[in-house]
Amino acid sequence: MKEITDVKEAGLAAIEQSSDLTELTHVRNEYLSKKGLVANLMSGMKDLDASMRPAFGALINNCKEELESALREKQESLAIVALQAKMANDWIDITLPATDFPVANLHPLTLVQQEIEDIFRSMGYKVVEGPEVELDLYNFERANIPADHPARDMQDTFYVDAQWLLRTHTTAIQTRTLEKSAKDLPIKVVCPGKVYRRDDDDATHSHQFVQIEGLVVGENITLADLKGTLQLLAKSMFGEARVIRFRPSYFQFTEPSVEVDVSCHICNGKGCNVCKGSGWIEILGAGMVHPHVLDMAGIDGTEYTGFAFGLGVERVAMLKYGIDDIRHCYINDARFLSLFKRFE
Amino acid sequence: MKVSKKWLNDYVSINDISSVELAERLTIAGLEVEGIEPLACKADLVIGQVLTCERHPDSDHLSVTTVDCGDKVEQIVCGAPNVAQGQKVIVARLGAVLPQLTIKKAVVRGVESCGMICSLNELGVDEKFLRPDSSAGIEVLGDDAIVGSDPLVYLGLDDEILDVKQTPNRADFNALWNVAKEVGAIFNRDVTWPDCECAASVGKLTELKVGSTTLGCTLFLGKVINKLTVKESPRWLKERLMAGGVKPINNVVDISNFVMMETGQPLHFYDLAKMSVQEITVMDQRAGKLVALDENEYELLDSDLVITSLGKVIGIAGIMGGDDSKIDVTTTGIIIEAASFSQVSIRNTSRRLDLITEAASRFTKGIEPLAPFKALDRAVQLLVELADADEFEETVQFGEVNHVDKEVRVTLSHVNALLGTSLTMDEVVDALARLHLRPVVEGDQITTTVPSFRTDVVIAQDLIEEVIRMVGYEKVVATLPLMPQTIGLLNEQQIVRRSIQRMLTSLGLQEVVTYTLVKESFLEGVLPMADPIALASPLSEDRKYVRNNLSQSVLEVVAYNQAHKNENFNVFELSQVYGKAGSQWRLSIALNGELLGNPWSKQTIKSDFYALKGLLESLFAQLGFEGSRLRLLRNELDHQNFHPYRSAVIQLGKEVLAIFGDVHPNLAKNKGVKNVVMAEVMLDVLYAQSPAKIKFSVINKYPKVVRDVALVADVKLEVDTLITAINKAGKPLVQSVEVFDIFTSSELGADKKSVALTIAYQAKDHTLTEEEVSMVHGKILDHLAKAGAVLR
Repeated sequence: MKEITDVKEAGLAAIEQSSDLTELTHVRNEYLSKKGLVANLMSGMKDLDASMRPAFGALINNCKEELESALREKQESLAIVALQAKMANDWIDITLPATDFPVANLHPLTLVQQEIEDIFRSMGYKVVEGPEVELDLYNFERANIPADHPARDMQDTFYVDAQWLLRTHTTAIQTRTLEKSAKDLPIKVVCPGKVYRRDDDDATHSHQFVQIEGLVVGENITLADLKGTLQLLAKSMFGEARVIRFRPSYFQFTEPSVEVDVSCHICNGKGCNVCKGSGWIEILGAGMVHPHVLDMAGIDGTEYTGFAFGLGVERVAMLKYGIDDIRHCYINDARFLSLFKRFE
Repeated sequence: MKVSKKWLNDYVSINDISSVELAERLTIAGLEVEGIEPLACKADLVIGQVLTCERHPDSDHLSVTTVDCGDKVEQIVCGAPNVAQGQKVIVARLGAVLPQLTIKKAVVRGVESCGMICSLNELGVDEKFLRPDSSAGIEVLGDDAIVGSDPLVYLGLDDEILDVKQTPNRADFNALWNVAKEVGAIFNRDVTWPDCECAASVGKLTELKVGSTTLGCTLFLGKVINKLTVKESPRWLKERLMAGGVKPINNVVDISNFVMMETGQPLHFYDLAKMSVQEITVMDQRAGKLVALDENEYELLDSDLVITSLGKVIGIAGIMGGDDSKIDVTTTGIIIEAASFSQVSIRNTSRRLDLITEAASRFTKGIEPLAPFKALDRAVQLLVELADADEFEETVQFGEVNHVDKEVRVTLSHVNALLGTSLTMDEVVDALARLHLRPVVEGDQITTTVPSFRTDVVIAQDLIEEVIRMVGYEKVVATLPLMPQTIGLLNEQQIVRRSIQRMLTSLGLQEVVTYTLVKESFLEGVLPMADPIALASPLSEDRKYVRNNLSQSVLEVVAYNQAHKNENFNVFELSQVYGKAGSQWRLSIALNGELLGNPWSKQTIKSDFYALKGLLESLFAQLGFEGSRLRLLRNELDHQNFHPYRSAVIQLGKEVLAIFGDVHPNLAKNKGVKNVVMAEVMLDVLYAQSPAKIKFSVINKYPKVVRDVALVADVKLEVDTLITAINKAGKPLVQSVEVFDIFTSSELGADKKSVALTIAYQAKDHTLTEEEVSMVHGKILDHLAKAGAVLR
């Protein structure tokens, strides 16, 4: 019986002393293979008395199980050590420069335009576009700008010929929409697009710029509805704390007409450089659609009313981001454009 | 428009209202005040008298003075050459903030100085109001100046000028009278006028004849005054003119300017003695030259309105008189002209001549019909008062004005319905009455009688605007439209464009926006639309045409950024382009440098033909167009802009969807760009076709068998020929073919290349056996050999 205990003790010690997986395999082979030491002990059993055999067999089994269990444990712990060693060997310099995943973005004018489009889409407005090379009819006549009006001067408008011109405002889209939808009211649209004025380019003027106008025509549309709508726009674009005020103004397209000031988002209305000390920033022109405009489009002005508003996308972008020169928007310098990776 | 607060106060009492409050209230009521300018700087100034004046012991140009400032005597060192004992002068006291400096106690070359004796210049008074000698020294005040009092009050410079932005509908604000009425309405105060009605209805028979042969002049009033005295204007008149930004000249000229500013009606005075015949006719069709009273010569066209006498042109109507008949110190009699001229005609002439006079700008904005009569009355009154005018002749009138004040009606319910308010009848009537619109109520209806100067009030909506302007827009409570719910939608084209923007920016391409107007050379761009549109009146040759293609503009952006060393700048633009026949939506892409990369690990994706090809393919695939719907062809369309051997065309159906590839070396040189591949995509072709529908198909569960082949073929044999051959021969088991290696070598021979392909086989309904694959593979090799590629 003692030899069993001896083999077990010697085997456990050998397992304990193994320093890597190769040594451990040797130990396994020495003790637990078909011709290993444990198997040898087993072969001695046939010389024993039958009454001794069960106890002897149990001892050997116990010896075998203990060795196997010790081997398993040792193997697991050695595997952990080996993995640690391998990983340590796989050390990298995490400070080396990254593989560049270029992030690009939309042009700031597109970002602002789409933001405004989306605010109005969420309120059920359709986005409608129109031609930039436009008929005098839709750009001026239908917008209630009569033939002798100064805005029609060759000095201010890019004419192509007597009939065609580059639209000077997105009101041209509105007049087309009014005509098209006269028999399919209500109208609820925003009209974004490039417009053109015969201005020399400088820090605050551009012969090309982007406007967005909005138009709602239906039953019982009021100036109060216009105020509520633009209040929402101001809050979505410039923050929940913004309020707006209306000031009387004059546009051919609307009567009454108002300028819409938004409380300054920089100084919170206290007065600063951006708002020139007034606490207010002029952002939109708006008003109730002039009855003559409705009439020209074939809409009964006694039954329907509407409001319209318009804003300059460059102006909003410049205010929002503090851009000091409108020409940045058209030079397309990578260093300028990449500022808008993040949109806020 | 410049509005003097002091002048305004002549008609409506506003001295108790601060300029800031006045500006604020006017702005809210629609007269936007853009600035408030004092005539002279407001500082701690006092009138002082020079008690003693002695040479500075240590300077040959400084004087040491003692000045009585009323409350105390100050010692002041003064550098002005004209300072002298006994003078009454303007003293800026210690602490006074002048435009250029702040006054502090100082020691000037050993002598203490407590203040400064000032020139008008140093007080910030506008150059044009200074006498020629004003800047040479200190301002010496008259004997009547009271020591210790405010010098600005004494000089009449204690005024503030509001710079008011005028909306085009309120041309009546060109008359200060009308501004005063508006201010009276806003503050609910009485407005009073000088009583001059019918002042011009005096005079004996006249020989003066006035007339017009043009539709551009509908009314002409003429009046002869045989006797008057030209002299200096009284101080109040000079102050008013200066506050209005006009330089005083003499009493007669000043009166014409004063009346113009007060009534909005430009007047012209002719020197009676210089008119050979008393006949004035307004004409056009009189092209020629005229020396105007600014002594410049102007070239006149047939379309210009002119004033003639005996057929000779003596003035540019409504803009400037001629030099020959102008008022000067010798004038003893005048002819007054008060006329109505065509707004459009005056605008065209004054713009063309770049002669935007006070008169021209008023005629251009429009003048109320009764203004000539009002102005004539006021002018006669003032000429009598200030120029001893006498020996009048009766007024001669050409043209008729049958003005009747118009009635405009509105109902209370209409007011509230349009505004979304609940104003009472009293509030509405009060607002209209304050504006002199004379409301009369009958039930729900209000009838107003609109005075002649309010030419802008025509329809009910105009009255509604007047009401809310007076009541205040803060009375409008914000609501949202009550109407049937609608869904906010983008149309299909807008969705496609937004998808393109999203995909391309995700792939690292920056969106750019460039100008629509381009120069002529840009019209030779990629797939230009026919018959480009030229502007009739461009600002410059560089912006003369509406662009008919997009790539030229995008290349310009690349050139700019390459020149500024902004590397790896890959861009795209979406825009419409135009030709006489209409417009097209285009997408232009330009790649240069790398799409992504890591230099130290040598992992980079170059922006080359194949990158652009892949970009376009995945773009189109994501938009629902791929596989056999697209055809890739060699570019035979454009060898001007593209490298003829490194470019391609993608067709959708029979239409050209895109053209792309390396920029032609000549164009690259021309534009100053390097290593650029570009594409121009016809979005209308996409819009016109339906994208593929997403449809589920069963996912194949049987294993793929993969075989590699290495082939040798002619160097110009297109790989697509091989792939097509494999697909055809291997049908239906070939599931995919991929190219994994291409090379040329001297061993292969100069005109040969090696192409290595991976072919994947898969059956839909069973696991392939080795025999099946080998059989198909062998067949494929036969076909490849026929196509010109043999196993390496």
